[in-house]
Amino acid sequence: LKGQQASPFVLRARRSMDKSGMPWHLRYLGQPEIGDKNRHALVRNCVDIATSDNLTDFLVEMGFRMDHEFVAKGHVFRKGIMKIMVYKIFRILMPGNTESIEPLSLSYLVELNVVAPAGQDVVSDDMRNFAEQLKPLVHLEKIDPKRLM
Amino acid sequence: GQTGKLMYVMHNSEYPLSCFALFENGPCLIADANFDILMVKLKGFFQNAKANKIESRGTRYQYCDFLVKVGTVTMGPSARGISVEVEYCPCVIANDCWNLLMEFMQSFMGNHTPGIPSVFGTKHDSIYSPADTMVQYMELFNKIRKQQQVPVAGIR
Repeated sequence: LKGQQASPFVLRARRSMDKSGMPWHLRYLGQPEIGDKNRHALVRNCVDIATSDNLTDFLVEMGFRMDHEFVAKGHVFRKGIMKIMVYKIFRILMPGNTESIEPLSLSYLVELNVVAPAGQDVVSDDMRNFAEQLKPLVHLEKIDPKRLM
Repeated sequence: GQTGKLMYVMHNSEYPLSCFALFENGPCLIADANFDILMVKLKGFFQNAKANKIESRGTRYQYCDFLVKVGTVTMGPSARGISVEVEYCPCVIANDCWNLLMEFMQSFMGNHTPGIPSVFGTKHDSIYSPADTMVQYMELFNKIRKQQQVPVAGIR
């Protein structure tokens, strides 16, 4: 959503492809927090909202424009509050049609994330400890979102 | 660069964990309570409309399979009218029970019994959803907002 501010407001909408009837998931992720350089993981303010399935129509009505869409297929693992996802990203060939997709690459993406109450910085240490255990199979590193924009 | 359109954010104590966001003649989104937090973050992108917050507060009655909610509609400090919500709980297809609802309402509302709500206009046999209730409240509240406030004359 573009407004008078320099950076547009970004929202992520997600739905389950194998379980019909489940609510859609809407997420807002803020800018990385200050003092982030010393932390082992990327920390951002997060608001998660479950919604009815007319979410995309509603966002368009609000003035949002779709930036990109993709399909992710893979597995989700849990260890306490840590969530580890191993998935392949698929490019959607025709907008809105999830039947015709092609993989973006042959490899899987491994993502480790945690949703925790504000201020619990010690969580990033737990994440780093877990990441160490996955070496040398997987080398997890903190991403810098600015490099990707 | 589009003409301003209004988005209504509503809450219903019958569904305490939900938040309803709707556009007139547009989609009605049902979301969980975190939607209010998202709206706070979006404050810079939208103008808060001058229209005051409007609410209906009252008593909820259960009569066999019917639910009747009578409330006083207030806008700020002033009372603007009375709202009556009637629901026939066992049925989820509006067209199948409209006649029964009308008969029930006539028994205590007489001439004030309304006609069939416009939400059922196009979709005759679709399953009723809480969003349909909120659209009706939005229409009622808008009607009340447009009404002229009757000035009270002071008598010396």
